[in-house]
Amino acid sequence: MSLRSSSPPARPADAAGADGPPTGHRGARRAAAARSRRPSGGRRTERLAPYVLVAPAVLIIVVLRLWPLLLGVNFSFTGDGERNGTTVGLDNYRDLLEDPLFRGALRNVGLLVLLLPIAVAIPGLLATFIYLRVPGHRFFRGVYFFPAVLSPVIVGAIFNLLLAFDGPLNAVLGGIGIGPVDWLGDPRVAMVTVVAVHIWATFGMALVVFLAGFATLDGALLDAARVDGASLAQTIRHVIIPGLSRTIQFVFVTTMIGMLTSMFGLLYIMTSGGPEGSTYLPEYYIWIQQGQMNRPALASAASTVLFLIMLVVGLLQLSLLRRSGRTE
Amino acid sequence: MKQWARWSVVVVAGLALVGCGSASESDSSSGGSDGKLVVWDWKSGDPSAASYIERAKADFAKKHPGVTVEFVAQPFEQYYTLLGAAIQAGKGPDVMLFNGGGQIRDRVDSLVPLDEYVGDDKQRLAGWEAFTKDGKTYAAPVTLQGHPIYYNKSLYQKAGLDPERPAANWNEFVANCQAITRATGAKCFAQGNKEGIGIQFFLSGLASGVLSPQEYDDWIAGKRNWTSPGVKRVFSLWKEVNDQGLNNDGANSTAMFNDAFAVFQSGKASHVIGLMSDIGHWKDFAEFLDARNVGVMTSPVVTAGTTPSLPYDGGIGYAVAKWTKDPKVAADLVRSLTSTDALKVFYAEAGAIASDTTIDVSSAGPAVATIVSEIKDGKPALHVALSSKTLDLMGRLSQQLLSGSVTVDKAVDELAKSDQAG
Repeated sequence: MSLRSSSPPARPADAAGADGPPTGHRGARRAAAARSRRPSGGRRTERLAPYVLVAPAVLIIVVLRLWPLLLGVNFSFTGDGERNGTTVGLDNYRDLLEDPLFRGALRNVGLLVLLLPIAVAIPGLLATFIYLRVPGHRFFRGVYFFPAVLSPVIVGAIFNLLLAFDGPLNAVLGGIGIGPVDWLGDPRVAMVTVVAVHIWATFGMALVVFLAGFATLDGALLDAARVDGASLAQTIRHVIIPGLSRTIQFVFVTTMIGMLTSMFGLLYIMTSGGPEGSTYLPEYYIWIQQGQMNRPALASAASTVLFLIMLVVGLLQLSLLRRSGRTE
Repeated sequence: MKQWARWSVVVVAGLALVGCGSASESDSSSGGSDGKLVVWDWKSGDPSAASYIERAKADFAKKHPGVTVEFVAQPFEQYYTLLGAAIQAGKGPDVMLFNGGGQIRDRVDSLVPLDEYVGDDKQRLAGWEAFTKDGKTYAAPVTLQGHPIYYNKSLYQKAGLDPERPAANWNEFVANCQAITRATGAKCFAQGNKEGIGIQFFLSGLASGVLSPQEYDDWIAGKRNWTSPGVKRVFSLWKEVNDQGLNNDGANSTAMFNDAFAVFQSGKASHVIGLMSDIGHWKDFAEFLDARNVGVMTSPVVTAGTTPSLPYDGGIGYAVAKWTKDPKVAADLVRSLTSTDALKVFYAEAGAIASDTTIDVSSAGPAVATIVSEIKDGKPALHVALSSKTLDLMGRLSQQLLSGSVTVDKAVDELAKSDQAG
């Protein structure tokens, strides 16, 4: 109904009516005459046109996204190896829940969520310093962005060398009297190490987003705060954070997605899921099950679980964004 | 109006066709058509394997002039992922390369037993066991892979030890190591267990000095008693070696490939349990240490009454897929790929111990000569008999053993469960 009323030919007639009262009647009449003259087949084409136009996009989404997704979910209810192709119900999901590795991977997802505020605070704080023009801010702006252009494989290889047990970082620590830490070999620290490297490698992008946000900040407010004698901490807390709330939310969402979906390269290079399986993430688990353990159906079940997690996280973040949009 | 509606239909149809086209195009690489065989491997792209492939192709062309062979080199890291997808689709290559052991045994459902085709090669080639499941052979071995204990003769000399007489029993071995560490600062073992591979090499490299011959053979035959004193001793030895400081520091964060080998090559450790072929082997070590200084020893006797032997298996081998049109032709290609001529080239250029025991290796230095002389009495490596799932678990448990977060008893219990589950 609404499609029809807003169909293109109706508009010029209305517009003409609004623009020039003297010609209005004539214009409307001409349009009506044109409509009655047109054969009914033309009207049907007109009605179908919008659907035809969106069809390519819908087709691509359905054929290349939704259909494979459904196939994948369906595949996760079949067996592996000897039971290949037979329906096994929820067996794969039961296997997943019983597998300490997969539970560990889910726990690590939880850890990522906990570390998210740090991953957002670091670029936020550094961007604030750059915005407040600390000495050398131009230099820092370039340097901070630099790691963002490196591929995770290169970053992983660099940090493998730096963090090796007999590597430079431990040598420095030894020099100041702190015993060596097995950064990538101790299950208690390995995951945090990898996340830290990931943050180092990606915070440049968030920093740029923050700087863009600062560009929209009202300078008069900052000046007013300064005149009122606000300290740096007070300025950040009462002026900058409220002024940048939309930017901060955006960075939260993109950083979360980045952490959940693009740590594979780093994990693969730096720890291979170890030590003791402590650095597994669902993505890595899926890859191992499919490629190394030859259990594609179990891998699809894990993929389905990961998809559901991403869906919940995504919806939560959407609703958060929408709510904050409404309050403004 | 009509016209643009028609155009948009054309555009949609065009896009849909393109979509379908790109989705189905990848099928064209799958083989099985008459007159063409498709081979998947991760070797044929190597310059060092080029003349081996040429030789094999020429040999095959003599037998089947009408059949073309296409080699598709896949990256090794992705190999089994890609192969798994191809198997799932039932549209893989006709002939494919496999690692011996778990990787091929997990996938025999999609392979043709080769026993009726390769009978004539059984005597000439060694290492069939790794490609056999339930009495049927699924691939012909190209190289042998095994785990000799390499040692650095110049470190032995610096410590005043006789490099030609490595220790025969464990206590003597540890004493030698301590002498070397005192004299040179070098650790006893270059150990890399980041990927959980260190334990596999350790288990296979030293088990013939720990388990009785009977227990060793039972293990290979599938009758594995994980809680026997012998098996427990292997795992407690693994922990003991690390606790005594015989390993390089940070074994759990050192990658076997290739950080641990680098530790040995740079003279920071006197021993390493390495490989026989491809990588981490005599040829690599000789480049850094000089072929004269690379020694090979069998496991020291840990438990009295054992007879140490070289642990080895078929390393890589070519198998034939079930869906190939004519298994006989494909099997002939496998035979060409394992002919003496082709393997001789492979040994010389790629630095691998070829499966063909009739090849003369005397010019390659003492380490190779020792290895080849031990093949006759060698036995299959223990870890190769395990499923990839159990190996993965063993990797993680071995890391926990080193960090002290699991006991030997608990570890072997879990391994037994995983092993019995399949």
